[in-house]
Amino acid sequence: MDFSFPKEYQLFRRMVRDFAEAEVKPLAKAIDAEHRVPHETVKKAAALGLMGVPFPQKYGGMGGGETGYCIMMEELGKVCTSTATVIGAHTGIAAMSIHLDGTEEQKQKYLVPLASGKAIGAFGLTEAQAGSDAAAITTTAVRDGDYFRINGAKVFITNGDIADIITVMAVTDPSLGAYGGITAFLVETGWPGFSIGSLENKMGIRGSSTAECVFENVRVPKENVLGQFGAGFLTFMKSLDVGRASLGAACLGGAIAVLEGCTQWARVREQFGVPIATKQSVNFMLADMYTEIEALRSLIYRTAWLIDTHQPHVMEAAACKLFGSEVASRCIDKAVQVHGVLGLSRDYWVERAWRDARIAEIFEGTNEIQRIVIAANLFRPYGLRIPT
Amino acid sequence: MKIIALVKQILDPAGISVRRDKERVFINKEEYIVGPGSKAAIEAALQLKCDGEEHTVVALCLGKPQAEDALREALAMGCDSAYLIADKALKDADTAVAVRALAAAVQKLGGADLIVAGRQSGDTGSGQVGPRLAEALGYARVSDVFALKAEDGGLQATRRWGQGYATLEAPLPAVVTVAPEAFPARFPHGARIMNAYREWEVTTWSAADLELGEEELKPVLSMRGESFPPPLETGEVLRGDPATVAGEAVMALRLQKLIGA
Repeated sequence: MDFSFPKEYQLFRRMVRDFAEAEVKPLAKAIDAEHRVPHETVKKAAALGLMGVPFPQKYGGMGGGETGYCIMMEELGKVCTSTATVIGAHTGIAAMSIHLDGTEEQKQKYLVPLASGKAIGAFGLTEAQAGSDAAAITTTAVRDGDYFRINGAKVFITNGDIADIITVMAVTDPSLGAYGGITAFLVETGWPGFSIGSLENKMGIRGSSTAECVFENVRVPKENVLGQFGAGFLTFMKSLDVGRASLGAACLGGAIAVLEGCTQWARVREQFGVPIATKQSVNFMLADMYTEIEALRSLIYRTAWLIDTHQPHVMEAAACKLFGSEVASRCIDKAVQVHGVLGLSRDYWVERAWRDARIAEIFEGTNEIQRIVIAANLFRPYGLRIPT
Repeated sequence: MKIIALVKQILDPAGISVRRDKERVFINKEEYIVGPGSKAAIEAALQLKCDGEEHTVVALCLGKPQAEDALREALAMGCDSAYLIADKALKDADTAVAVRALAAAVQKLGGADLIVAGRQSGDTGSGQVGPRLAEALGYARVSDVFALKAEDGGLQATRRWGQGYATLEAPLPAVVTVAPEAFPARFPHGARIMNAYREWEVTTWSAADLELGEEELKPVLSMRGESFPPPLETGEVLRGDPATVAGEAVMALRLQKLIGA
């Protein structure tokens, strides 16, 4: 058993780290304060292949697989959760769904521009009444000759307002339910009938946009059905399965940065005449952070390996997202305690990191949904179905 | 035009700590990187490549076997091919031996129109390899270059000159050494990083491949030991209200003749 990364991944990590330090970190505070997407960073990331890390080079990707993708998300997660979210939603779920289930023509037409960063992608699943209960969507797609007409609204769509291509899940046969009655579509946001409703004013990840996407009679050609007709729910769930591992990787990066920040602070902050690093109460918090981070790191990269070697990974990916987001939240919560009132200061990184961490327990399937996914898979071999 | 970029792999200074009290340098983490001078050399060569279509950039390195990683990074940055000179017989090579080996490699590559090196390496930092290689090959030489253009059999190089800069012209073939601060290196493209390890080759040459004889491999210099320079004296700390402290600081600097009256 060899736990070291192959050399191409070591060099790739160094490149992403240098890029993140030079181009991403300096903007992190400003894009949060100004509530804006860092388009300039996205452009620079695209020029380095970072908008299509997991995809094959023949589709404009970097050829880094899930392992490479997790490395990038970890390094971005260390310096800016917002930027990681913009690139993550684009790559990990939007483009990923085309990579997993697209036809050759669809890959040429949509994956190539997405993977090379010439186009931005978004993933249109959630609706006002269909969050955790994703199968309860009411957006419809009705056949109209060689086209479908899509009507409905998606909410909380990361990149929704900046996307060129959005993958949309819509009901094509209400009588068949989730399995058979829902189909995935590739929709270009320039098509008539697509519009942006409201933009969310969020607590965290303020450097990413979260939009309401409205579909009014949007005509979509039938060749833009993504995956099997009627199997859209499966297409989306497969993408989310893979996306969860990389989401955990971004959390890993966030947690590592928090531990580094706390270790640094504990060495320079003095109380009772000594650095607080010498206080057991602080030490124990840092030791717990370290232990959880190491456990998370092993989980993430083993899951990435499972995905890259085409082995079953649903439970592990759910565990990455569940454990990753909770480790990140626990670490940043302790970090606030270690920093005292400074941890609440708008002028210091801790407060932003605390606000940014919370979303990971919610998006791409709440942690409660992850627990259901894991439990359902625990009992499946025994023929026991856990209702979701 | 054929451009050769000289690459040196050095210990990552981030993994080193200097303990003055023990008069020792500790290597905490033995990791190797492409030296900043070499990165600038690669960058300068690649910028020339961008200017014209018929340029090829060859990365050439003298080092230990693990220096192959430095060359793979050079390939990832954009170099077209990479050659490593690695041989146990070269482990004590001083500048004279290094230059002989590099010159032999350049000859074996069929010469070059332009050779670009860093102003000095990030570890031993003698700054001699570039100029001495020019001498050995009989090429023109410009050192400490801040801007570079090569066309029609000649090159135009801007180098530091006293308080300012001077732009020189030189015939090709030539060796230039570049200032790291003037050529901040590009990030390699992710796909090139993958290909540099999975698809592309680094050719390794031994001393025998370069037909270097025993005499040519004999270093002139030998290492007798390392020592530390004397510690810097601590400066004087001025305290008080800003206006008074500023006045005192100006006076102190004048007395030391560090600023004019």
